[in-house]
Amino acid sequence: MVITRRQIELETFLLISIVVVGSLYFAIQKNNHQPQFSFASGISPVSAPAEIISPKITVAQQISPDGEKKVIMKVTENSDNTKTYDLSTADENGANEKFVFTKILDSSKNMSIPFNTWSPDDNYFFIQENAGENKSIFVFKATGESFSDTEKYFDAADIFTQKDTGNNFAEATGWASGTLIIINTTKPDDTKGFSYWFEVPSKAIIQLSTEF
Amino acid sequence: MGYRKIKENNKTVWHYFKIYFLSLFLSLSVFAVGSFFKPQFSCANSATCKSDLLVNVDNNAVGVFQGRKVNPPKVDLAMVTAATSVLGVHVSNDKKHIYVDLSTQTLYAYEGNTQIMQALISSGKWGRTPTGNFNIWQKLPVTRMAGGSGADAYDLPNVQWVMYFHNDFGFHTAYWHNNFGYPMSHGCVNMRLVDARKLFAWADGPAGNQKGTAVSVCDQFKRPGTCVQNNPITPAP
Repeated sequence: MVITRRQIELETFLLISIVVVGSLYFAIQKNNHQPQFSFASGISPVSAPAEIISPKITVAQQISPDGEKKVIMKVTENSDNTKTYDLSTADENGANEKFVFTKILDSSKNMSIPFNTWSPDDNYFFIQENAGENKSIFVFKATGESFSDTEKYFDAADIFTQKDTGNNFAEATGWASGTLIIINTTKPDDTKGFSYWFEVPSKAIIQLSTEF
Repeated sequence: MGYRKIKENNKTVWHYFKIYFLSLFLSLSVFAVGSFFKPQFSCANSATCKSDLLVNVDNNAVGVFQGRKVNPPKVDLAMVTAATSVLGVHVSNDKKHIYVDLSTQTLYAYEGNTQIMQALISSGKWGRTPTGNFNIWQKLPVTRMAGGSGADAYDLPNVQWVMYFHNDFGFHTAYWHNNFGYPMSHGCVNMRLVDARKLFAWADGPAGNQKGTAVSVCDQFKRPGTCVQNNPITPAP
């Protein structure tokens, strides 16, 4: 049997190809199962830069019925699960912003701006604090001024409760005039009670013959 | 004695006749003169006729609502008349429709099936807001409104963005309260100034043979074609 030179070259080439392909196969297999190297010394693993978590801020606002003023409530979510409520007033276009109030509440409470927050003459506004079933109605002067030396604002719901009308405070719906907040109540048996006016300057309670 | 008594009685009867005819004459005279000098405007408010259909600005007047004095806002008539449209003014009036949902105290403005405005309103508390299908028949940028009686009497100058849709029932601002979303009116549809201004600029009054923008007051409303009206008023053609 005569083996030609060409046959030898072909067999050699095939053999080398098989070896190379086989080597590559084992090399790839090995790399895929290779444990992570750790540098022995000198170079510390590089950690990703610490993520700077900026506090989440939401802004709610309510314009006055004549469109001249707005009350702005900025809510900042703090890292300790509390929220900071910053309240201010401003002109409709954002000018003349006046800081009014700030308060930190835990997660069981929140504050909201009712739709009818503004008195019709833009002199007062109220906001609502909700703590479960309990509501507070904080009344402010739009200028940010205090009602007295010791009183920046007052809680109309608390004052109503202290008057002991026999009915429970349910909601403040809005303003009947420039100084009168409309309060709806429930009777002790949870049925609808009388409606009242709460007069802001005198803090007087006036029972109404009609229900709102 | 008996004759004199009869004569005196005759005199008395004649005296009463004279008084009667004199009174009759005076009544007719007053009526005729009063009719001749009657006001040249229609009256929107049948109760007092203080709410005329004229543009009326009085920046020095004090208003009254529920027995309390109210200071009306100062109105610059030039600015009021120059107010421009915010919503789509070029839309054909037959596509415009205003719906009032009395159950939710909400107003909707539609162009065809597209809702372009939604606002809380105050409908009748001391007087019912009529349900039915109407058209705006009069637009007044500012006027004076008065009516009611006793403790419910009201007299309110400088009421802006008035659009009557049925007799003296209409849309208008209410600067004397801010309790929208709850009934609070004598039958009209009260709106915040910001909303009423927008609606006024968008809606049309009657022009030539064309009626004003359609208005449907519903006991309940979800979308065009679902206006529930109990005992609606049928306006005169």
